[in-house]
Amino acid sequence: MDIFDHIFFGFGVAFQPVNLLFCFTGVLIGTLVGVLPGLGPVAAISLLLPATFHAPPVASIIMLSGIYYGAMYGGSTTSILVNIPGEAASVVTCFDGYQMARRGRAGPALGMAAFASFIAGTLGVIGLAFLAPPLAAIALKFGPPEYFSLMVLGLTVLTFLAGGSMLKSLMMASIGVIIGNVGLDLITAQPRFTFGLSILLDGVGLVPLVMGLFGISEVLLNVEQRLSEREVFKTVLKGLLPTLRDWKESIGPLLRGSILGFFLGILPGGGAVISSFVSYGLEKRLSKHPEEFGKGAIAGVAGPESANNSATAGAFIPLLTLGLPSNAVMAILLGALMIYGMPPGPKLISSHPQLFWGVISSMYIGNIMLLILNLPLIGLWVKILKIPYPILFPLILLFCLIGAYSLNNNPAEIGLMLFFGLLGYLMKKFKYDGAPLVLAMVLGPLMDQSLRQSLLMSGGSGMIFFTRPICLVIFVVIGLILLLSVLPLIGRMRKTMDEMKEV
Amino acid sequence: MRNPDQWSSLFWLLAGLGITLGSLKYGFGTLQAPGAGFITFFAGMLLSLLAVVFFFSSLKRDEKLHKGVEILWEGPEAHKVIFVLILLVAYTLILKHLGFLISTFGLLCLLFRVKATYHLMKVILMSLLITSGAYLLFQVWLKVQLPRGILEGII
Repeated sequence: MDIFDHIFFGFGVAFQPVNLLFCFTGVLIGTLVGVLPGLGPVAAISLLLPATFHAPPVASIIMLSGIYYGAMYGGSTTSILVNIPGEAASVVTCFDGYQMARRGRAGPALGMAAFASFIAGTLGVIGLAFLAPPLAAIALKFGPPEYFSLMVLGLTVLTFLAGGSMLKSLMMASIGVIIGNVGLDLITAQPRFTFGLSILLDGVGLVPLVMGLFGISEVLLNVEQRLSEREVFKTVLKGLLPTLRDWKESIGPLLRGSILGFFLGILPGGGAVISSFVSYGLEKRLSKHPEEFGKGAIAGVAGPESANNSATAGAFIPLLTLGLPSNAVMAILLGALMIYGMPPGPKLISSHPQLFWGVISSMYIGNIMLLILNLPLIGLWVKILKIPYPILFPLILLFCLIGAYSLNNNPAEIGLMLFFGLLGYLMKKFKYDGAPLVLAMVLGPLMDQSLRQSLLMSGGSGMIFFTRPICLVIFVVIGLILLLSVLPLIGRMRKTMDEMKEV
Repeated sequence: MRNPDQWSSLFWLLAGLGITLGSLKYGFGTLQAPGAGFITFFAGMLLSLLAVVFFFSSLKRDEKLHKGVEILWEGPEAHKVIFVLILLVAYTLILKHLGFLISTFGLLCLLFRVKATYHLMKVILMSLLITSGAYLLFQVWLKVQLPRGILEGII
């Protein structure tokens, strides 16, 4: 079968009524969480993950993926109308989208955001369909040392690209590896760091961890703030279709954003947030009128919106071909696939073609659904924006509580979620990013396994990572990344030491 | 210490050392046959090392920030976080005994009053509606086995 046969097969799967329904539910929920500030796709996917355990696996993954790319669509609405990004990847859309709205051009801004998202999402899906199978074929040649090296590279790149301090991100990654290895050791069956708690024997559950770190902590952080009224534009939204001039100004940024976002999405930690910032910077630099950026340039909406949407498609490549997640959402999807008994990796395409091609095709259908949902229903999303937070936050908490309990019908899972909720709250207060922790937590057991297998293979010699060509290249890249990030740190520390000596 | 980073790095240093020592208890093994505590030993060591480096790198920012652990209660309504946490812990403890319907109704009544002062009747009505809606969605439709508690046998 060539690639087009596979795609037709995928559409056959995606067009099954149950999958269409789940796809629609996913993009609808995704748009909703994208619209609602304070509830991102990570929290939404983790909240709904337990509910999917009773549903067919392919339909569940279609729905969870729909939430992810749907949130990217929805996030632009709040950025443009309220100047509050619904989720992190839409921060950049505020810069020019909100200014366009202030000038009475909210309609074309929302319209262009939706069209850019649709076109980029579609291009991203096509890229995914063509790039993933050959990459999976190469990945079949990988052994435990290559996998271990790749995982170390993934964590290094993630901590390098993550916002804020790289040291903090590395610490989070270390803690993630430790948390991921809590529970019975796979080889010796010895319990590790369980503190006599039977709930920890199977390891720390991914769902209570992410719901706590991203859902509960976000609520706690909002609870301690005084509420301010969200000012939604009261002007009637008209003329959602961008003009010919708008299209002329946007088509270049849109195509560049799509390509850039797709490739940045593949990188661990790259994802939607970074790609939208890079796209904005690039368009500003390439523009003949850079002074218009920040004052309502439509290119400043089209570029980042296309970049963050194609990045979501790119992020699926390492997950579906190598079994390595590139961001927190993909880490949750990895956990979900394992729970459904479909471990992702190079064999996924051949062993579960209905999942791989079905999900890809559903993403295309989901993009069309999102276009239909976003343009005519913008009025509805604006109304949802007005739900008062005092009513919204108890609902979010209730979803988290039921979600955690339903995992094993055990209140101890809620206790575990609250523990991570408190930890996440403290982490946010002390400015630690939760994404490296989640990613390392998911990779932790795989790293442990592949490292021990590699050492067994080599008779205890660490040189195995430097004698195999792929590993060597990967470790050289890791070394370069670390060097790039450590050099300024050494400089700063030396300066501090000198200052201390002077004192 | 007038810098939150110094407090957090000390915390992680202690945690890292604890994990390193704990890993030795589970068995480091040898390089030829790594034990159960092999990877956690290295992760704990790395955490401790990074925490030390972070502590020293944060010394420079000491004078600029002028606040240490105070950031924990600097939010204008920080006391409400403690109240919500107490409510959630209490909910966890009573859920099995009182059952989903009673515990959730009580929790929602209290949570709706945290950030706003709605009329009591409105709070009761909203809590009642959401509790029954959640019960229908999760128990009846999604077949999640929610605890019945003291209502066992009645519903």
